[in-house]
Amino acid sequence: MSKRGCNDVNFFRPRGTVMRGETRLITLVLAGWLLAIVGSQSLVYLLVHSVRKGILSQWTLFNLPIPCWLTGQFLPLWFIILCVVFNIWMDRHASRDLDGTMRFRSRTGSNGEE
Amino acid sequence: MAPSTVQLLPLAIVAGMFALFILSGVRTRTRQTSEYGFTGGYTGRVGIGAAIASNWMSAASFLGLAGMFYLKGYSATAYVVGWTGGYVLLLVLMATQIRRFGKYTAPDFVGFRYESEVARTLAALIAIVIAVIYSVAQFRGIALLVSWLFGIGYTPAVIVGASLVVGFVVVSGTMGVARNQKLQYFVLIITFILPLMLLNCKLGYFWLLPQFGYGAAISDLQQQFDFSWARPLTGDSPFAWFSLCFTLMFGTAGLPHVLSRFYMVPGIRDARWGVVWGLFFIALIYWSAPAYGVLARLFEARGGFPFTVTDPKAADMAVLSAALNGGLPQWVTGLLVAGGLSAAFSTVTGLILTGSASFSYDIYPRLIRPNASETDKVYAAKGFFLVLALVALGLSLRPTAMMIAEIAALAFALAGNTIFPAFLLGIWWGRANAAGVISGMLTGVLITFAPLVAGTSVPIISLLFPATSSAFLGAPVVLAVMIAVSLMTPPPSKEIRSFLSHNVHESPEE
Repeated sequence: MSKRGCNDVNFFRPRGTVMRGETRLITLVLAGWLLAIVGSQSLVYLLVHSVRKGILSQWTLFNLPIPCWLTGQFLPLWFIILCVVFNIWMDRHASRDLDGTMRFRSRTGSNGEE
Repeated sequence: MAPSTVQLLPLAIVAGMFALFILSGVRTRTRQTSEYGFTGGYTGRVGIGAAIASNWMSAASFLGLAGMFYLKGYSATAYVVGWTGGYVLLLVLMATQIRRFGKYTAPDFVGFRYESEVARTLAALIAIVIAVIYSVAQFRGIALLVSWLFGIGYTPAVIVGASLVVGFVVVSGTMGVARNQKLQYFVLIITFILPLMLLNCKLGYFWLLPQFGYGAAISDLQQQFDFSWARPLTGDSPFAWFSLCFTLMFGTAGLPHVLSRFYMVPGIRDARWGVVWGLFFIALIYWSAPAYGVLARLFEARGGFPFTVTDPKAADMAVLSAALNGGLPQWVTGLLVAGGLSAAFSTVTGLILTGSASFSYDIYPRLIRPNASETDKVYAAKGFFLVLALVALGLSLRPTAMMIAEIAALAFALAGNTIFPAFLLGIWWGRANAAGVISGMLTGVLITFAPLVAGTSVPIISLLFPATSSAFLGAPVVLAVMIAVSLMTPPPSKEIRSFLSHNVHESPEE
């Protein structure tokens, strides 16, 4: 067995600000993803087991019984929202990283070191 | 369901649509030459999304999903959640990183990351098996539609369908047809939603957004026929729902032909936003699919049919059954059939071509003929294309109680148990090595096929790892095996760890 390499990538021990920020965001998005799936099904399970048969299909949202809307319509929409949030955050940080790199380059360029 | 006569108008619509695809493909090919010179073949993020969605839409989505809703009601939502939620995993954990690796196929990625020819060959074999299983689901869908179009039985329809697939590939290949995936998605969405709008309109429901309008049909079924379609968790346990849902998610993030979309996009931002658009386009179909299942049930109830249909073939035809029993004009039914055939054809040709490319690129020159020239590889790919088509054809002819979506789910289970863990740890854990990934993928293969081989004699296997849902517990087991074996064996080379650290995780986006 050998020791962990000095530059080994590990999701749970991210190195550098870029990777640390990215893994934090990924953790948040995945938490939102998992909570929505487990939470919605727990709610559906509770509804089924605490409500009289027949009533459940009468409770509707957007014309659909609540369990159907929650699972079949809302969850895919929630996944799209999560993906949009992830992309916006990544775009902002990518622009910031790129800005930093360009400033660094122009400064070194003006000193005539490049 | 199969009529005894040829459906001439629908057949003409199907032929016309395929002719349109071929003509537009030829035009796209000639236009691309000039476009590449100025724009590098950039089609925009919406275009990438449409290509992702068109690549994804298969007979399982077009026919199978409605069939599952028809047969299982609420339980089938596991397919919708699984097949959309998997794109979140794909986006946040893999899409940008795969693009930075700069490899073109899943076996290529595995071979490069794990520095192992054995791992690469194993990944290629798994990719081929996934292609075959997924193709069987497509052939089944094609056969059901061809059976209705030509008024023939299932077995001859499978043979006719397979011949048409091979013929389509030969014609496309000879004419150098490029796949116009934006057009294909446009056709798919129109052919799927237009009949649904007309059905809702005929029934007096809210037809502008049929994805919500069909709720009235659920109420009608409940009030007029005492059929509780939407009551959740009546037939299946919560474990069955979750295991199927997560298997499909892990499988989505591990399917080779889905992953391959991200190797070729122009930039990392485009890859990311392409996923969002792709997911939206896929969701448009999945928000609509349950409506066909419910409407098929409603029309049957009004026609006096009992609610006890359990025949998988009848359920897989729920989309067509809703259109026919709903009294839609023949040209609309023709559009629906054309859309279903287009989805199945594009997927099956893509899968078999991917499988034959895996053979000719990853296996043939490395294991069978080390000195193979480029011409030899092309011949090997063509020959293996026919072999794969024949194997899928043979398997499609075998009677099975599985529905289209369930056969597809088996392919997802294999991908979720093998390719997904290999990519996940390959990207996010520098210590994962060749011994780990080989043991992991072999464990994944064992877990996937154990319920099919020994499920009846050892019931606990089927209980923990159901055939179509084995990756829920299987993928974590495979990850544990990969971690344990990697830690017990020497780490990967400094070069690949450094590449992973600097080129994949620390490089700025372009």
